[in-house]
Amino acid sequence: MASSTDSTLQTPLADQHHALGAKMVPFAGWTMPLDYGSILGESRAVRTSAGLFDVSHMARFLFTGPHAAAELDAALGGSILDQPVGKARYTMILQEDGGILDDLITYRTGEKEIFMVVNAANRHRDWEILTSRLQQTECADLTEDGGGILALQGPDSHRLLATLSGVDDFCPQFLDLGQIPSPWGELFLARTGYTGEHGYEIFATAEQIVPVWNRLLELGAAPVGLGARDVLRLEAALALYGHEIHEQITPLDAGLRFAIKGWKTRNFAGGEALRALPEPSIELAGFTAEKRVPREGYAIFCDGKEVGTICSGAFSATLNQPIATGYIKKGLEGQFTVDFRGKQLPVTRTTLPFVPHRSRD
Amino acid sequence: MRPNDRSYLDSHEWAKLEDNLVTIGITDFAVEQLGELVYLDLPEVGQTLTAGEALGEVESVKAVSDINSPVSGEVVEVHSDLADNLEALQRDPLHEGWLVKVKVSCADSLDGLKDAAAYEEIVAAES
Repeated sequence: MASSTDSTLQTPLADQHHALGAKMVPFAGWTMPLDYGSILGESRAVRTSAGLFDVSHMARFLFTGPHAAAELDAALGGSILDQPVGKARYTMILQEDGGILDDLITYRTGEKEIFMVVNAANRHRDWEILTSRLQQTECADLTEDGGGILALQGPDSHRLLATLSGVDDFCPQFLDLGQIPSPWGELFLARTGYTGEHGYEIFATAEQIVPVWNRLLELGAAPVGLGARDVLRLEAALALYGHEIHEQITPLDAGLRFAIKGWKTRNFAGGEALRALPEPSIELAGFTAEKRVPREGYAIFCDGKEVGTICSGAFSATLNQPIATGYIKKGLEGQFTVDFRGKQLPVTRTTLPFVPHRSRD
Repeated sequence: MRPNDRSYLDSHEWAKLEDNLVTIGITDFAVEQLGELVYLDLPEVGQTLTAGEALGEVESVKAVSDINSPVSGEVVEVHSDLADNLEALQRDPLHEGWLVKVKVSCADSLDGLKDAAAYEEIVAAES
């Protein structure tokens, strides 16, 4: 893969982003499209039709060998041994003290083969930790093999892929893995995403990624940048490493027990610490605001007393209002306000997610 | 190039002097960098502004930013319906999207600000 002169990595679609007039920004060591002109318009496209994201910055690892599943089961927070071949699963890498090092998706591509996608920002640390925890498993970092990941998200995404492939019966359930034909060879994909919409992530080879990107845009998908991706994931209340989840937060704090299935009985890195912890005293709360966006780091108050800090904030195109998340003490009730750069303004506590998930529809 | 009839701040505000009134706004480059605007906070008529200090805030989908006053003086007029018509600021920040008019005490109040050519270099460096 080509590296630009300032040592940031470029995805295989750099020329396409440039031609589309994308605003490119540095992100986790990569040069990535922030938007193609309108963060709000791009997030609306995903909710109403279909949006196409280049997420080739995300790290791709492959683990193979007869012990791969058992070793990963112990190295990760989630259970891998009972993950069926042909299914994806959301889980995490935990510290021994139960803090979250990263969240990720495992794809059971075979009895003895597990494909994994982790956050770009954590690629090298994840690699160090996983390879140190896995003794008998072959590990490969495929991130810079010239291929990449396309996320096609939105209610029209199935139709677009059916038109591209000429087949209709792929990935019937959420988290299904699949293969569909294309003029550029079989495409490997999964019914996964980071928007809460019905959608797919396509793991394209170096030869496939540019023509598949171009074809999906031709068929009507809107190119969508990282700006809208952040808005969409926050609307769907999907956690983002460095915001809702990090080393000082456990999966129990974050309300993500589903990501560490079987944690009460399984033997895995961080499991013992989690079992020894008392019930979490904090919870992730959702807030809406009137006009101004409660942004990361702003203090949250309840009846005038400081009770927490905003993790993520964005202007929701779907709800046409600012939305935010923040950890607060469990069971708090009262009048919530946020300190907007010196001004206390009211916010309204609301249930998460802000926008209902349709990924299973 | 941007209009020569006014002066500019490094932080992307403009100031246009007519008689002893200075009209203040933010530049098209500022708007382009901010992206889609969601909120604008302006001072009240009668408020005193200090050159280099924040007169208000502008917020976009991406970020929130102070608007710095290019001059010191008293606010005599505020474009008060602009906050509910952010499209005008988005579309035409150099004219239709003016923010406030300030009465200044001396005619040399714009000294030290950039002219259009010098501001162009700042934009080029940040683009």
